[in-house]
Amino acid sequence: MQGQTAREFIIEVDKINKEFPGGVRALVDFSTQVRKGEVLVVIGPSGSGKSTFLRCLNGLEEIDSGSIVIDGIPLDDNRKHRLEIRKEVGMVFQLFNLFPHLTVVENINLAQKLVRKKTKEEAAEMTMSLLKKVGIPEKANNYPSHLSGGQQQRVAIARALALMPKVMLFDEATSALDPEMIGEVLDVMKTLAREGMTMVVVTHEMGFAREVSDRVIFMDGGRIVEEGTVEHFFTNPQEERTKLFLSQIL
Amino acid sequence: MNRLMITPRARRTGLVFNRSTFFDILKFILLIAVLTFLIYRGTLGLGYNWQWFRVPKYLFLLEDGTFTLGPLLNGLMVTFRITAWGLVLAFAFGLVTALFRLSHSFVAVVVARGYLELIRNTPLLVQIFFLYFVMAPVLGIERLFAAILALSLFEGAYASEILRAGIVSIHKGQWEAAHSLGLTTFHTYRYIILPQAIRRLLPPLTSQAISLIKDSALVSTIAVYELTMEGRAIVADTFMTFEIWFTVAAIYLVVTIILSLVVTIMEVRFKVVH
Repeated sequence: MQGQTAREFIIEVDKINKEFPGGVRALVDFSTQVRKGEVLVVIGPSGSGKSTFLRCLNGLEEIDSGSIVIDGIPLDDNRKHRLEIRKEVGMVFQLFNLFPHLTVVENINLAQKLVRKKTKEEAAEMTMSLLKKVGIPEKANNYPSHLSGGQQQRVAIARALALMPKVMLFDEATSALDPEMIGEVLDVMKTLAREGMTMVVVTHEMGFAREVSDRVIFMDGGRIVEEGTVEHFFTNPQEERTKLFLSQIL
Repeated sequence: MNRLMITPRARRTGLVFNRSTFFDILKFILLIAVLTFLIYRGTLGLGYNWQWFRVPKYLFLLEDGTFTLGPLLNGLMVTFRITAWGLVLAFAFGLVTALFRLSHSFVAVVVARGYLELIRNTPLLVQIFFLYFVMAPVLGIERLFAAILALSLFEGAYASEILRAGIVSIHKGQWEAAHSLGLTTFHTYRYIILPQAIRRLLPPLTSQAISLIKDSALVSTIAVYELTMEGRAIVADTFMTFEIWFTVAAIYLVVTIILSLVVTIMEVRFKVVH
């Protein structure tokens, strides 16, 4: 059966646990699955484990137990699996993490050449089309320090997309931005969502969730407290903790 | 009113010129004049016979329009050879040691740590003697190579600490971004971490390079005919102690100052804006 039918879930997370030194349990028997093309929004108070969950998905954090399978590839100690998964999973960080010594174009070209083994011309073509997509082709030859926060984050999205990943992870991608720049980054993310990209988004932007999410998870203490559509969260949250949290962020 | 005006140049160099600066310079010149006078009187008392006119021929010879290097400049060429190879090897030793210490391999960490502590806690002179008198006959390496090896092992240990500090100073978000893009550890070091670290490290690495040039004088103790050794030989022949050592010191000074200037220019060119 397996391999013949199209895989239903592109991300399969089964009972993962993660404990940080000092005894903080960031994830406790955490399980979920994400369908191809699904947009999953993860919300929760700080320290609830939502960022840790995201960082486990591409191996930036090691899990203590449980299993993660991305597009059929298990995330284990096998170095090949790890690199393969990182090619297929793009990530956007809260603090952009652009490479400051490289120009915008070089930032986006680098992994295409090193990881996807593209020629200079192929990479350049891809890079320009991505810069047009995120709306800043005119900044191609600038250094990141000459860009605004919103522009830097859009470059970071383009950089992740350049590998043509099957999944995109967004770790509070708009939290470090000035309010007037949040919109331009969210617009790019919404476009991606509508194009059918599988996305896992840690955010406090409930407006974004309302517009494009298929499912919302509310986390606290390393566990899923409540799960449902965004309408469910707006109209009919069940748990006290969920109601309290929503009343604080809305 | 204009006394504290800060020019763009002053902002770059940290130098501010105003009226008190000129008094500072004046006072400094006076002090130097007094010191020079005292030294002059001291040498008069010694009855030292200055013979500066004999020095140039030890630098270079001009006969029948052909220019040949004298022993001092020949020695300088040997010093250049030692320091050029020394710099390359010291950087290589330093980089490998730094990467070993930051690796996850227990053996690599212990080896790097052992090398560092061994080199840092013994005198360079003893290391030169050990390599030349003990290791060179055993391994069959020649004098000049023993000298280069001793110097680069010594400076490499210090360079490794500088490089390690620079590497860990790069924000961990850079590692995470590189890893999330599927870059291997090698590619991350090569394209992301080291280019940023080395730009930050140019000033301390320059100090280390200057140390290497100066420390190369110590290999005269195993009779490598570099600048200092040539100086010693000339002094033994001519008894022009003061003139020759002044000249040798001046040559080292010119070389190291030129190196400092070159690095300053590089720093401006490769400046990373954060």
